[in-house]
Amino acid sequence: MHRQGIENFPYYLGLNSLDQIATREDRVCVLNILGGESRQVTPTSHAFSGGNVVFGTSPGRAGQKLKTPVGDIPVFNNVREGVNAGHAFNVGVVYLPPTSVRDGVAELIRVNPKLTKIVIITEKISVHDAREVRAMGQANGIDIIGGNCLGVADSWNRIRIGGALGGDRPEESLLKGSVSIFSNSGGFTTTIAQYLSTEGWGTTTLISSGKDVYIHYAARDFAHALQNDARTKAAVLYVEPGGYYEHGVTFGKPTVACVVGRWKSKLTRAVGHAGAMAGSGDSAEDKENWFLEAFGVDRAFTPDDPVVSAKGALVTNIADIPAALTAVMKLNGVAPDFASTGSLALKPWIANDQGLRLPEDLAMPVVEAPEPYNAQIAKLSEQVGAVIARQTMKDKSGASVMDPNTQVTSVHGHSVLDMALEPLEAIFALPLVHEIATANDRAMLDVAVAAEVNLVGDPILVATDAAREAGNSPNTVMAAAAAIVGPNRVRRALDCASALIGLFAQSGLKDGRDEGFDFSNIRIDDETRALFLATEAEADDPRPEAMLAAITARGGKSVFLKFLGTLGGRLSRDAILAAISTTIAWGPLMRKRISRLTAETLPWYLRLYGVMVGATIPGEHHQHGSLYGIPREDRFGKWTMADICYLAMTGKKPSKEETLPLQILIGLLISNGPGSISAQGAKGAVAADGPQTPERVQINKAMMGFLTHSGYSHGGNGFEGMAFLLDQFKDAELHDPTDQNHGLDLKTMARDFALNYKREKAKAKELGAEVRALPGIHHPVFRGKAENFDPRERFVAAFMEKRGDYNVFHEYYREVVRALFDVGASRYVFCVNVDAIIAALLLALLWKDYKSGALTTRHLENAAFTVFLFGRMIGSAAEIDDHLNRGRNMDTRTPASECHFVA
Amino acid sequence: MEVTGMLTGAKLLGHVGFPTTEVLGPDATEDEIQNLIDRHKLIFIKPLFRGGVGKKGKAGLIGKASDLKTALAEKERLYFAEHRHGNVIAKANGITFEAGVPAEHEVYFAITDDSRFRAPTMTLTHRGGVDIEELEKHEIASVPFDALTGLKAFVVANALTDINAPREIISPLVQHLPKLWELMHHYGMTTLELNPIRMRPGRDGRLTPVACDFKCGFDRDDARVARLGLPDYLFASDISAFEQEVNRLRTHQGQSDVFVINDKGTILAPTFGGGANSLVTEVLGDAAIISSDFGGNPPYEKMKAVASICYRHFLAQTNVLFIIGGKSNNTDILETFRGMGDALREHFSAHGPTPLYVVVGRGGPNLVRGMGNLADTLDSLGLPYRFFGFDSAISEVVNYAKKVDLWMRDGGRAEIARHLGITEAA
Repeated sequence: MHRQGIENFPYYLGLNSLDQIATREDRVCVLNILGGESRQVTPTSHAFSGGNVVFGTSPGRAGQKLKTPVGDIPVFNNVREGVNAGHAFNVGVVYLPPTSVRDGVAELIRVNPKLTKIVIITEKISVHDAREVRAMGQANGIDIIGGNCLGVADSWNRIRIGGALGGDRPEESLLKGSVSIFSNSGGFTTTIAQYLSTEGWGTTTLISSGKDVYIHYAARDFAHALQNDARTKAAVLYVEPGGYYEHGVTFGKPTVACVVGRWKSKLTRAVGHAGAMAGSGDSAEDKENWFLEAFGVDRAFTPDDPVVSAKGALVTNIADIPAALTAVMKLNGVAPDFASTGSLALKPWIANDQGLRLPEDLAMPVVEAPEPYNAQIAKLSEQVGAVIARQTMKDKSGASVMDPNTQVTSVHGHSVLDMALEPLEAIFALPLVHEIATANDRAMLDVAVAAEVNLVGDPILVATDAAREAGNSPNTVMAAAAAIVGPNRVRRALDCASALIGLFAQSGLKDGRDEGFDFSNIRIDDETRALFLATEAEADDPRPEAMLAAITARGGKSVFLKFLGTLGGRLSRDAILAAISTTIAWGPLMRKRISRLTAETLPWYLRLYGVMVGATIPGEHHQHGSLYGIPREDRFGKWTMADICYLAMTGKKPSKEETLPLQILIGLLISNGPGSISAQGAKGAVAADGPQTPERVQINKAMMGFLTHSGYSHGGNGFEGMAFLLDQFKDAELHDPTDQNHGLDLKTMARDFALNYKREKAKAKELGAEVRALPGIHHPVFRGKAENFDPRERFVAAFMEKRGDYNVFHEYYREVVRALFDVGASRYVFCVNVDAIIAALLLALLWKDYKSGALTTRHLENAAFTVFLFGRMIGSAAEIDDHLNRGRNMDTRTPASECHFVA
Repeated sequence: MEVTGMLTGAKLLGHVGFPTTEVLGPDATEDEIQNLIDRHKLIFIKPLFRGGVGKKGKAGLIGKASDLKTALAEKERLYFAEHRHGNVIAKANGITFEAGVPAEHEVYFAITDDSRFRAPTMTLTHRGGVDIEELEKHEIASVPFDALTGLKAFVVANALTDINAPREIISPLVQHLPKLWELMHHYGMTTLELNPIRMRPGRDGRLTPVACDFKCGFDRDDARVARLGLPDYLFASDISAFEQEVNRLRTHQGQSDVFVINDKGTILAPTFGGGANSLVTEVLGDAAIISSDFGGNPPYEKMKAVASICYRHFLAQTNVLFIIGGKSNNTDILETFRGMGDALREHFSAHGPTPLYVVVGRGGPNLVRGMGNLADTLDSLGLPYRFFGFDSAISEVVNYAKKVDLWMRDGGRAEIARHLGITEAA
């Protein structure tokens, strides 16, 4: 049952020409106008179309209005209220949820006798409802477009009805011309229009047909209207498999058909568009054949094989549509509508290869995007460094993570095991710049820290000596020093770093070491210039010159130092520190690995590193121009961070063989993840200052947080392993623990100990007392197998073995765990854990001095604690910086509901 | 969502009182089978497949028996039978025992929505029991009818007259076939096929149509299907755990149609728009892990949830995360990119980093803000990326993603792994 529309159609069709589909006379009523999608889309459509929406409906929201750039659209509860209020319309647009679409169509048809067209945007309408919608339209003589479509548009009339063809900038895509587009894909309706413009083709009417099982306005209907539209010289169809809609259709004007979806024949279910299920005889291949036959060509058009006829061309890639159309129209003697608007070649707008070297054809440089996008991208690029989303960081870290299975912690993707094998100067800035330092950066960093270590004449020295004399632990002494390196002590250095970043941010500089970079365009005002120069009060400070000389001697390169060198004045120590830190941070900053905040605060960390190491050296050894008797020039020019740490612990410069164990020790101790007490202390200190106001966060206080959260149990316990070994070796004639020919019978020593321990254990059991734990042996995670290993211990052992290094204490530990099992003191072979290897390495390092009496047991204990502090100082910097960048104010607190009272 | 076979079919047909042959399921006891044989002399043993599986007869997968021993032997042969039909390999899990219906006439009947008529259409022939494609056109009636009034008796009568159907079958079919429209239209079906309907003579010689095989497709967008209370497992045949999980988020607010193309693929391509989905899946070929259409302006939360599921299932094997679509009309790029980026960040937090190159090709509202947001996320994760605007041909961007994939396979993945500080390139 259908009304009679255009003659000779076996069903109702009212639209006789494409110019009737979206006209300037059409007046529109939008159902569910205040729904999420309509609220975004309708204002743009309304404004673009000169205000063609007369009203909308939204049950229960009568009286509200939808604001648009060309005035408000009134909203009624239903269509009848709107019509009664005097709003006449002929087009209904349906934005209702799928289950309401059928009723909405019925409402439009029954209430408004002037209705001629309905556009249904809603997707996922049931086939059941679509059947009935079709029947209602047919019975009442209404043209329906959709569903599951983006509506229709007319570039000549500047009208858009229904959906969002052309997005929020319809004028960009709807360029007036001579081609009509009929597309099963809403997205591609606009994309094809934009592609056509690259060959100079504009559009007349654009129809997003949808691709449900029921396509209410289909290819046959379109072909009829196409032939009657004088404006339209050609058509483009985008077609997907499923349905016989295009079968046997005569288009009557040159047509390019794009059929995509051969792959769908491999599937058994609908993909994307509900109707796109390949049935029998309507697969993509079948449809290609329909069009090949209609156009009188034997194969599809490709750029390499441009097969066309005057009737048309078949393509299988939408990018080929413009060229195919031009070729078809050439045969028809028709030239494009306007000059090309550009090409479809690859144009990267934004890219970052993160410093990786990609093959040339992949590492395509970014190009300028068309306006207004280019201006928007330029605005984005003004943002220097990474932008990090804030979140609650209680017990979380974006810097470190411990693998619960191996107990190996990584910091910014680098495991402590790997870091332990890197020179200390290569890794101590890693927590902040997230990368292992290059040779150049290492040289610069060594100078930066060396310049801060000697505290002669500084009140810090008085404070640390006083703290030491008061009997405090090494961490407490260090905390006294950190307390004094407050904001005022670093303000100028931080300002210098900030100024350098500001000056070079938009310069195009990629590498801070690039001294060949042309900075002649960088202008600096007097105030900023003055910031970098030493004041009169600093006239007696010899360090700026010494630092610069040391950097030259080490071959360090820095574009920032070179730039500061052109300022024509004596640089301050702060300026040089800032130039060093900015050189190191620049690459990661430009690659957006780190934030600007991190780069700007880096001098604070470097100064703290130097001061905290310096604070472990008693005041008497800090002299003008020398530390522990080592002249300034030597330290600045040649010493590494590891050398200075060794000096601080022993008062001596280490040999190469002595540096390696220290470096391994510090590396292993860098972090145990955010759950460790020291990390919690650092994070809590940041949270308490409020990371959301980062300028108020005292990084030195955060370091104190780590230091106050270290102690004899956490940090100082490293000595327990050494004490165990000292006890075991107290009667042994051991001269060099690294000499394999030590002459000791380790097996017997271990067996004797194991038997003693077994007896001790049995006795304790009898008495009901706790059995003493053996330091460095056993681990709650690595247990239960016949023989157990701590992967961290194995890693270091394998490394040492490869180098041919020997450590008698380590070997003894291995003998002990076997002996414990052999004598029945343990049920399986315990693991030698990482603490044991730390104790073994450190004791071997200090053994000779201990034996000679130069170091006492107290010294050894201090050394064990200090080496922990050196390592954890680096790891804590990572947590502090991470929390500063990522955290929220006071985010480490525990809700009262999760706290417990204990009676 | 398809159902075949009489075990479920008989129950469904019972809703509208359409006569069916007697069916026993795989749990039938030997006594029950013997009883069925005693009463009907001949029974058929058919493997039980989930989903739509056709042409079982031609594949020799329908057993016959007139004694218990043969019936049990056929049960053993067919219980876990495998059947290849088109691209689908189905594995049976169970069998049915169906009573043979002696009849002179076999009828084919189907209702589906035919795009040639854009109306529900009945297909009917009295020469049923064979493949419909094997018959001459004049032997088949293909008749569209009005969806609002439904399949009426006169439509059936006219059709049978047109194809010169035997007189004795017309009246019983006119009486019973319209019921099938009620079943199809009111329970969310898209297609219903009974082949054969065997015309069983009664004591008075009057024929009764008896459905002997059943096939139907359901519309997953139609809530009416739930009225039937069918168990979920019936539709779980060829849907992977991933598809099940992700398609649970399917609503009309933004699509989430996702299918696994190659579970060994290396390009994970969240695709926006049905057209882009077709193009991208076609050009990516076997490199594609999934085929997806996330268009339709999904809200942030939905986009993030869908992306999280995709990452959880496939990110470890992915070389290229390829976010691709045309110039979107109404899908908000900022919201969708923010959703995918945040999901990626959370995935890295929970599961650790994985080597990845990110390629984007997109246009639409809030494009640059969306790209900027995603770039910030990728920078913070240390992942390399290249974003193309809508002025690059989608197909070229797809080819670029394929080239990156090749580079990743050829050492790029290991290089990114090193850069991320992870030792294993999964």
